[in-house]
Amino acid sequence: MLVRDIMTRPVVAIGPDEPIGDVTALMAQRRLRHFPVLDEGRLVGIVSDRDLRTVGSRHPKARPDVGVSDPVRALMTTLVWTAHPLDPIDEAASVLRHHAIGAMPVMESGDLVGIVTASDFLDALVEMTGVGRASTRLEVELPNRPGALAGLLDRLAARGANVASVLTTRSEPDVVAFVLRVGTMDGRGLARWLREEGYEIGWPLEREPSSGPEPT
Amino acid sequence: MSDADPSAEPTLDAAFVYAPELASWTLSPDHPFKPVRLALVKDLLETAGLLHADEVVAPTPLRPGELGRVHDAAYLEMVARVSRGERPEEAYRFGLGTADTPVVDGLHQSVEAVCAATVTAMQLVLDGRTRRAATFAGGLHHAMPDRASGFCVYDDLALAILRATDRGLRVAYLDLDAHHGDGVQQVFYDRADVLTISLHESGRYLFPGTGHSYELGTGEGRGLSVNLPLEPFTEDDSYLDAFDEVVPRALRAFGPDLLLVQAGADPHRDDPLADLSLTLRGLRDLYRRVAALADELTGGRWIVTGGGGYEAFSVAPRAWAQAWSAMTGREVPDRLPDAWRHRWREAAGGPLPERALDGPDDHPQQPRRQQVEEHNAAVAKRLSAVLEPIWRDHATMRASAATRAGAATRREGTS
Repeated sequence: MLVRDIMTRPVVAIGPDEPIGDVTALMAQRRLRHFPVLDEGRLVGIVSDRDLRTVGSRHPKARPDVGVSDPVRALMTTLVWTAHPLDPIDEAASVLRHHAIGAMPVMESGDLVGIVTASDFLDALVEMTGVGRASTRLEVELPNRPGALAGLLDRLAARGANVASVLTTRSEPDVVAFVLRVGTMDGRGLARWLREEGYEIGWPLEREPSSGPEPT
Repeated sequence: MSDADPSAEPTLDAAFVYAPELASWTLSPDHPFKPVRLALVKDLLETAGLLHADEVVAPTPLRPGELGRVHDAAYLEMVARVSRGERPEEAYRFGLGTADTPVVDGLHQSVEAVCAATVTAMQLVLDGRTRRAATFAGGLHHAMPDRASGFCVYDDLALAILRATDRGLRVAYLDLDAHHGDGVQQVFYDRADVLTISLHESGRYLFPGTGHSYELGTGEGRGLSVNLPLEPFTEDDSYLDAFDEVVPRALRAFGPDLLLVQAGADPHRDDPLADLSLTLRGLRDLYRRVAALADELTGGRWIVTGGGGYEAFSVAPRAWAQAWSAMTGREVPDRLPDAWRHRWREAAGGPLPERALDGPDDHPQQPRRQQVEEHNAAVAKRLSAVLEPIWRDHATMRASAATRAGAATRREGTS
């Protein structure tokens, strides 16, 4: 998955001379938390809701010389971390976390083409878990060796079970745990069959032996 | 009720919609969805003297084009093609020819007949012939407008609801299946005249994966999709507590004209496809609560369908006998008729249960009971807290609409 798949666009950008009070109002009205700042098409800064909230407050980072009628350039962050549309989302997410920032403008050939925020990454996580397509949860532990996952997917295909998503939840020297969403109602039947094939299934659980029909 | 005369005495206490072909089709020979359950429950009720011959009603066919009210033309065309014996590659995109919904010749005819049964049950109530109708063939709540899903090809429930809303009635749909009623919810997600409520095992674990408590409906239907996801291994008391916390208030706030209940039998502990842990006692008490709510809110008008219930011989017939019992007030005998047990023993591949309810030893306590109960109680409480203000708005809007309508009637009356 790439940044271009999850980024928000079109992106709402502002000019550096907009008064801070107007920018705050626009942010509330559009329910956004970050605006890239463009000067004649060139990215010159970014401003967040947290930056704006310091204005006139006793926040430790508040600048007493900056007021709501000052231009936003007085407050914006000028060292801007940006992403490229073709960056893998895991890399973009680690840049976001490393710098403890909430959003990155997405730039392509010097043009602002989108913005990617923490919310976009959460949406991507939900999308990756496959919920949203009718499916059943299947937890499998596989030996940590080449071909183990391919073998499992092959078995699922043989049962006509379509795989909506595969997620690695734990990786150890000997074992890798996967959570799959599989497009079938009969997850328990599938699990029983996979156990018979020698797979370690964490979910669905084996049903305790039922007391069964009563004797006559 | 707009067309039927509500003061007219219905001719039947209750109707049981049935035709032999509803019990004799299959998706594949060893498919978990076994329509034969319908024959078992009918035979059980008749043998126990709980179903009278005049109460069995044959389905009336659907109206021409009626399936198109819910389903897309391209999808209907694809079902028609596979039913004629064609096996096009692209059927897969419509959810057909999958492990869950294999294609068989005559698929369209079989499932259309199921829809006709559910719609007939609705129509009997709309026409005032009865206030209560059961049709355990139906309950195909996963069918989507554009695709088959989860063993469901056509959405009989949505078709039945449309028969009622076409007359200007408000319908409450209550889905008690272990799986989320995603198809029905989707069709009515933005409608102000249909309340859908689904109690189910959480989608985190179980098919189809949806049914989060934050799925509340949209636009005019905001607050009218209610989802109560429950933990795996939920037992009777925890289930019924969660039901009591949310369902009566949702129904009272909405004020339905009639109630349609999908009574999938798969919340039962022995069900092979789901992980809820109810017993027959819990299911019986659940159906009795539904009957009481119908008496309170809809003049006793309710329709019950089947749905899931994959322990087709030992659980589904006993569960639906309890639903019919709640509907008619006729008690299921504690000891089930030997004649019934013997007749179905061979088909079941073993002896059938002797008793209507489960014995205490059949259901050892679940190890995570306390965690499960706490989690369910918290989810139910939070859901009703979220819905409370929305329900208040609905009640206010209905009251002012009623006042306006009353004023209009009075003006007409004096002119």
